[in-house]
Amino acid sequence: MTPAGLALTILGLAWVVGGSAWLLSHRSYTLRHVPRFFADLLGFPVELSQSLFGRIGVPYALLLPNMLIFGFFTFLPMILNVYVSMTGGSSIALFDRPFVGLEKYRDIFECANILIPKTCSNAGYNFWTGMFNTLWFVVIQVPVMVVVALLTALVVNRNIRGRGFWRAMFFYPVMLSPVVIANIWNWVLHRKGALNAAIGGTQDTLTGLAGLSGFDIAATVLFGIVLMVVSERTLRGERGLSTPWASVFCGIFALLTAWAQPLSLAGLPGSGWLGLALAAALLWLVASERAIARAAVIAFGIAAVLMLLSIQFDAVFDFGRHRPVNWLVTPNTGWPFFWLVFVFCWSHMGFYMLILLAGLQAIPADLYEAAKMDATKPFRAFRRITLPLVMPTLTVVLVLSLIRSFQIFDEVYLLTGGGPGRETFMVVQNIYEVAFSSNHPDYGQAAAGSILMAVVIAVFTFFQLWMTRRQSDL
Amino acid sequence: MSVATFLSRTSGNRETADRIGIQDVLAYGYLVVGVLVILVPVLWTLFSSIKPETAVDSFDTRILPMSQVIREIEGVGEKPVWIWTAEDGTETLVFKAGPTRRITEVARLDAPEDVFEVPREQLREQEEMRVAVENYLDPILKRNGQETFNFFTYLANSVFVTVAATLITLLINAMAAFALSKYRFPGRLTFTILIVATLLIPASIILVSLFFVVWSFGIFGSLWGVIIPAAATPTGVFLLRQYMLTIPDELLEAARMDAASEWRIFWRIVLPLSLPALSVLAILSVIWRWNDFLWPLIVLISDPTKHTLQLGLTQFAGEFNSDFHYILAMTVVTLIPITLVFVWLQRFITTGIATTGLK
Repeated sequence: MTPAGLALTILGLAWVVGGSAWLLSHRSYTLRHVPRFFADLLGFPVELSQSLFGRIGVPYALLLPNMLIFGFFTFLPMILNVYVSMTGGSSIALFDRPFVGLEKYRDIFECANILIPKTCSNAGYNFWTGMFNTLWFVVIQVPVMVVVALLTALVVNRNIRGRGFWRAMFFYPVMLSPVVIANIWNWVLHRKGALNAAIGGTQDTLTGLAGLSGFDIAATVLFGIVLMVVSERTLRGERGLSTPWASVFCGIFALLTAWAQPLSLAGLPGSGWLGLALAAALLWLVASERAIARAAVIAFGIAAVLMLLSIQFDAVFDFGRHRPVNWLVTPNTGWPFFWLVFVFCWSHMGFYMLILLAGLQAIPADLYEAAKMDATKPFRAFRRITLPLVMPTLTVVLVLSLIRSFQIFDEVYLLTGGGPGRETFMVVQNIYEVAFSSNHPDYGQAAAGSILMAVVIAVFTFFQLWMTRRQSDL
Repeated sequence: MSVATFLSRTSGNRETADRIGIQDVLAYGYLVVGVLVILVPVLWTLFSSIKPETAVDSFDTRILPMSQVIREIEGVGEKPVWIWTAEDGTETLVFKAGPTRRITEVARLDAPEDVFEVPREQLREQEEMRVAVENYLDPILKRNGQETFNFFTYLANSVFVTVAATLITLLINAMAAFALSKYRFPGRLTFTILIVATLLIPASIILVSLFFVVWSFGIFGSLWGVIIPAAATPTGVFLLRQYMLTIPDELLEAARMDAASEWRIFWRIVLPLSLPALSVLAILSVIWRWNDFLWPLIVLISDPTKHTLQLGLTQFAGEFNSDFHYILAMTVVTLIPITLVFVWLQRFITTGIATTGLK
């Protein structure tokens, strides 16, 4: 038995035996007081400190167990980390480890070019690959998650039917364990899984439809009518232009641009991105009530009609036979990374949505009523009332989700195992593999890695807090 | 009032009814799509887990658990049954007697020796609906080569870890919260700041040295090594402290007049009064402990008798392609308790977490 274990056992014995003796000598218990006796025994340290020091000792005794655990299992490891990172060997006896100074850090930083992990020593290669993947993941994932969570919170905060049901449903994935989540999504994203089956089925249907004679004419006419109705609604909102209808219009416009490929006239790719950018610009113009918004909507409508005419629908729907994609395994496609971001958002979004929902509900309703009196449009109300007032909550969500996504391990490890190659290899996986799943564990290396990771997280957190402070002052 | 108005109003009575606007359409569209994205994978896993092994292996995407009928044929053995539709439209039950080619040799079920040749296009699988209970029962009862999967051990370990950790968490967090909310003493601010600080320390950066600490306490490789380090949670202390601040001090003073000790006040007055906050923390703690993966993986992985359900589930991952039906079934088994907790307490959880507002 280790000394610490021995000490724990002695402490436990002293608690139970000494406590019983003390309680029985100070108070009288009858047989029906047995439950009370055990409750008193549980609180024996508190009782003892009250009898020794009076009431002033009580709060310390109450705090003791919590502080012992925090001290031994949170603060002590923080300090030990520094020590461990300066020792070598694979011994797990803490004071049996040879001191090597900063050698472990030097291994990590031993690179020809630190931005290209391939040029680093083996330890540095693994660490920097993981670190850059994690940074990339955080940079993409945190904004996506916060925007989706805010959007969802705004929607479920509306006066909708079955509000509790929708909220609960969005929260449900938070309850699931990483193993379960990984199994479910493995099953969906498998080469022969549900996603490929669904995509294949849809494409087959569309290809079949496109083969029907006259289908392209009918589809063009139908699309033209939809376009007309939507742009009419956009232009004749209750008060000037209508933002929700404009967003529908923008969605259709982006879709049409992606299909019509206007840039291909000049032999350039990237029409899809152009469509998205144009649609976002138009939406911004309408939402912020610029003077030229009306003219822009009309211009975009004309452009949409032209693109619609230029589209040959049979060509558009000629997807060919769908080849199943091996979503999590095919390298150099970006799909494994995309699905990690997606699955992570899927499983954690509900939690941040709830926090934001609490923030939204704290905003007094009369502010919105006043805005309504002044005929303020919804988007303007969102930007001038909701966003500033929900900013403190948003900061909390940003910091929490940043810290959480830096620690991503379980889902990746179980879904892709860091692959294909090292495309989704995260820094925590590096720490785990170096210290716990190798035959020659190098605890010093892992500790050095975690300290560097802590530094990066601290920098990011402070930067974020500083940024949001500046923003919320506006 | 027209039917359309009745169906499309969102609030108000007959006269002041709001018609559904584009905003409502967008909102409901978003909600429906979002819930589909969340539920479809889970439901599809659930439905797939009751499909027979062959259907799972061939990734049958139909919802119902259909499987090809397999019949015992005298002198031949077990064979899948096919329906042979002849040129004149008559259907006969046959089994494949020869190699599978464009022209396949088959024989009738009732006349196994009478082999004849038919084109493959004329054969269709005879299917029946069958719920594959064995997906669940094999691993649980250790049948059919699933002897290494000790379901009940894993379940017992998971339940023990969850219950013990939750009880300890509730007790010591409530004690700390009581101290921080009801006493004024030197160092109160220091303790509060220390607890806030732990909120910002990510668990994964102290992984390595926590391993050293747990090892030197002699609880490495035992369930206590999972239970104790996670027992003190800053979230819990905060949540309970905020709640206990609302309990009037007069109650405590009255009890002190009656010469109750401070511990009795805590045990008999403060704890019962903080029951709502305690139950929110209990739910959170159950979720955290039941779903915990990385730390148990480090502490318990070397000893198969100490695995929790989550670790046991990963056993299948190595032999991934062969045992998909068992993986799905056991995934559903792991998912069910937490889903029941969720369905039972969802109103409580969503309001409770929203009001505490922290991890």
